Amino acid sequence: MAQASKFVSPQTVALYGVLTALTAAVTYATFVPFAPTKGYFNLGDSMVFFSSLTFGWRAGAICGGVGSATADILLGSGLFAPYTLVAKGSEGLVSGYITRKNGGKRWVQVAGIAVGGACMVLTYFFSELLILDVSLGAAALEMVGNTVQVIVGGTVGLLLANYVRKAYPSMAKL
Amino acid sequence: MTAFVDLYSEGDTFLHRLDPRVKMIAVLTLSLLAFILSGLTNLLCLLAFVFVLMALARAPWAKTYFAMKFVLRFMALIVIMWPLFDRSGTPVLASLGPIVITEPGVLNGLTSAVRVGCLAMVWYILIFTTAQRDLVRALVKMGVRFDFGLTLAITLRFFPSFSMVIASIMDAQRARGLDFSKGGLMKRSKNYVAVLAPAVVTSLRTAQALSLALLSRAYGARSDRTYLRELRMRPLDYVALAVVISLLVLPALAIYVLGMSL
Repeated sequence: MAQASKFVSPQTVALYGVLTALTAAVTYATFVPFAPTKGYFNLGDSMVFFSSLTFGWRAGAICGGVGSATADILLGSGLFAPYTLVAKGSEGLVSGYITRKNGGKRWVQVAGIAVGGACMVLTYFFSELLILDVSLGAAALEMVGNTVQVIVGGTVGLLLANYVRKAYPSMAKL
Repeated sequence: MTAFVDLYSEGDTFLHRLDPRVKMIAVLTLSLLAFILSGLTNLLCLLAFVFVLMALARAPWAKTYFAMKFVLRFMALIVIMWPLFDRSGTPVLASLGPIVITEPGVLNGLTSAVRVGCLAMVWYILIFTTAQRDLVRALVKMGVRFDFGLTLAITLRFFPSFSMVIASIMDAQRARGLDFSKGGLMKRSKNYVAVLAPAVVTSLRTAQALSLALLSRAYGARSDRTYLRELRMRPLDYVALAVVISLLVLPALAIYVLGMSL
């Protein structure tokens, strides 16, 4: 852009806004309440990983964090929104930072998802245990649930990133 | 699936006229209040207060139902599940093999459920009574960068439409014979790739069109934006602000300075 103003480019604003909305919408569409710590199971992680694998760590952090936190607020667990912002934001940031933008070898992508997912699981575990005063048994149970969610979400996100790259090649220009 | 466009509904109640910044601060203080209160009776009072505010917001029944559906489901889950994991305390109410249900466990579950109810409902009051453009304008006024505010506005605007896009793609794939309720967790989740891939492509196309629309409206041409309507605090807003802050500060003083247990 000719005028390098203080604002980021309209392409970036539109892309980030849309990806954030999509993350929230996917979380909403695949929502299954999960006891016992008032959390819920969803495929929102697949969109976090998709954003970070395709558009880099910044998109992963913003779209993952804000999108999942928005979904939390809309789905009646506003209690979790601040922790979700940190947990999913770090998940997207770390996995995006490891895999780099648009590509990387398969094992690098898997490693990025694993490390990013670990950030999310641990953030939830410790925030539940230390701040939200959830009992250790329940927090550990949810940790297992979150790990399953990362594995499932990571698989779907990885497939999605590779499918969409083939189906919509002009995406790389966004 | 509920096909609503926006949880906000037009209205002319006290809560609608209140400055959005005051409402955001109210959400924050009421949430903190729900955290520092520990007695069941006090939390129930807070929940009743939140329900009164909810009634004042006069949201349409369908939207209230949408919100209550999630909140009540969570509260019921906590009440049922909490005693199973919290086996502290002595008065044992029932025991069946390894499952022991104690009185403090049940009470803790109830307390926690009411707290979660409060924390969830205050957000709905803000969302029900504040237009998205006001929310974003308030955030920008409070020092958030305009492009972040705009990104958030786009998110709130497109969340419902993408929800509908996903629902219709799911219907389309079901019509082609894709079954979402069969198989294990992994199989089921992989089926969702067939839904998410078209949804992602649709939304990326939307993003492209949106960036053209932003460009054509000279987004970013000047860094000093002006607004048609400025937010201004009126006397009533200051009164409301004082009330919500004292609602947090007075119980906090009683708990942490006077050492009362509320």
